[in-house]
Amino acid sequence: MPSTRFRHRRTAEARCRVDWSHVNSPHHHAPTLARNLRPNPQELGETPGRAASGSGRPTLAAAQNADGGWGYFPGKQSWLEPTVYALLALSDQSGGPAFARGWRLIRSWERRGGGWRGCAVANQAHWATSLVVTLHAAIGAYDAAFERGVAWLTASIGVEGRLLSRVANWLEPNIVEFDPALTGWPWQAGASSWIEPTAHALMALRSAAHASSSQLNNPHLSHPEAAHRIATGERMLLERRCRDGGWNYGNRRVLGADLPSYPETTAMALMALNGHAGVRWEAALNHVERMWRETRSPLARAWLGACLLQYRGERPEPAVACPRAGDDLVVAAVDAIRWDRILA
Amino acid sequence: MIARRELLQTSLGAAVSAGMAAALSATMACQRASTRSVARSRAAVAILRAASYSEDLLDRLWRGAAACGLEARGLRVLVKPNLVEFVPGAVVQTDAAVLAAVVELFEKLGAAEIIIGEGPGHRRDTLFLAEEAGYRAAVPRFDARFVDLNRDDVAHVREFADTAGGIYLPRTALAADLVVSVARMKTHHWAGATLAMKNLFGVVPGALYGWPKNYLHQVGIGRSVVGLYRIFPRSFAIVDGIVGMEGNGPVQGRARPCGVLVMGRDLAAVDATCCRIMGIDPMQIEHLRLASSLGEIHDMKIEQRGEPVAQVRTRFELIPQFQYVRLG
Repeated sequence: MPSTRFRHRRTAEARCRVDWSHVNSPHHHAPTLARNLRPNPQELGETPGRAASGSGRPTLAAAQNADGGWGYFPGKQSWLEPTVYALLALSDQSGGPAFARGWRLIRSWERRGGGWRGCAVANQAHWATSLVVTLHAAIGAYDAAFERGVAWLTASIGVEGRLLSRVANWLEPNIVEFDPALTGWPWQAGASSWIEPTAHALMALRSAAHASSSQLNNPHLSHPEAAHRIATGERMLLERRCRDGGWNYGNRRVLGADLPSYPETTAMALMALNGHAGVRWEAALNHVERMWRETRSPLARAWLGACLLQYRGERPEPAVACPRAGDDLVVAAVDAIRWDRILA
Repeated sequence: MIARRELLQTSLGAAVSAGMAAALSATMACQRASTRSVARSRAAVAILRAASYSEDLLDRLWRGAAACGLEARGLRVLVKPNLVEFVPGAVVQTDAAVLAAVVELFEKLGAAEIIIGEGPGHRRDTLFLAEEAGYRAAVPRFDARFVDLNRDDVAHVREFADTAGGIYLPRTALAADLVVSVARMKTHHWAGATLAMKNLFGVVPGALYGWPKNYLHQVGIGRSVVGLYRIFPRSFAIVDGIVGMEGNGPVQGRARPCGVLVMGRDLAAVDATCCRIMGIDPMQIEHLRLASSLGEIHDMKIEQRGEPVAQVRTRFELIPQFQYVRLG
């Protein structure tokens, strides 16, 4: 009979041996795909990363609040979302003082009831908890807080899977045409699944999957439900793809009318699908590149650029100028994040 | 009393200074206290003809403001257009010419500060949407006046639609002396019609509730609309019905020229009047029925000024699910 301590360790290791085969199955070609689509920076005559780095870092450096966080705009209240994006942008300087101040704030915002609060004022679990998990993975902080974040994310689910919603959908399927069995993630507890929170949750859980496969002796990693949630979330994204090949903010067809896709949600969905075999990637990325060249939205361009960075390792020159982005710190941060490294 | 104030200040969070919190709590308490008292004395609704956006809209608005007894001298005014989304060539949002004329109206009325605020429901790049909608070109100093309500600083409001947790709302909106809902006259595929009251959904911060603000649908559209109206009783409605939207609104419907601007201090009365113009029975619209304790929706109790409803009635097409709201 093993000692209690030994038994605990065995259990932890067993729990770590979650079946992530789906994530590494032939359905996912991300590493190969990325290698094939991404040119070698040296071949382009660049120092590695030059094509990838955005110009947002100076903006971020100047806009950090005294509490260590970032607002959506300079001088405004710190929020979880822009703070995590800023820290992801600075994650290669995680030993620096700016990162340390932001990290301390993020760690203090974890809620006892699970998840992270959206800002100091609002003590309710926030969808950007998924970004916190991704941040932990990006800097290799596979600790208890990371584990709790993954657990919260795994338990967070859209309400469309509930019996009442499924019956309503069965009775009137043409109101919103989607499969309610394919649940993703909501913006807030008690609400339905939408594209953006689902995309971020998938990116976060996949980072947890990679952590699990590389950190087998880490007792903090145990996510038996996560692989199932990833698989279902991916199917949800694919099922909600619009007729034009991109993604709307939520659905593809309402009251018999096709909905248009948006560039930013299209980019996020493709980033989350991470090389899934259900996507014709060359065509999808060419579409993303066209949108990148044509969009006048700075935020859309930032996300489209992130998607191209993830899969191709570079961004082309845009054909049209964006109207002034104002001082939107999410745009600055998303533009500055090395997504090819974060999601590698 | 002191205990209540302290409790409210605590809920506002550590990021707010005590002075700011006290001022804000006083504003919010004043808003709540005035909810019931002001509603009954302001059911004047003005209907002004305007055949196109190239007419002198400021003149129409000025006459409408006078007809409704609108005063704004010294007030901090939040002008809230309807920019739920932008679709090229469609009539989704409040027209830029109307928004520009509204800003000019409040300048002329002597407002101390005019802020334009909106939190679009579907897409996150608010400034881009404002650019595409023509707002930045049409409104002088637009960027300096504009606040993205989806991503503003927030404060907690305890009472909202009988929910346990209340709601978080933008400080800019809570601190306004007057919230001016500048809506487009549209049908709505979940609510029947979207006018000045439903336009208040745009003040709810997407940063917490998402894009779309699906939480409000889970609470119930009708309850949420009325809950927001209770929080912002010091409001004024201006509905852009010069060209409205019929059918599968609020985004995918068709343009429906109607040739009117509708204004008033009682949002429920303005919306009920708009419904009658559109050929919709306001009693069949859930949020208007629920709002009948806050404002007037019965035509006998609304003092109609300007054009009579019958003279401007324009039958808006309704989707099959809402045929039952058709005015008999």
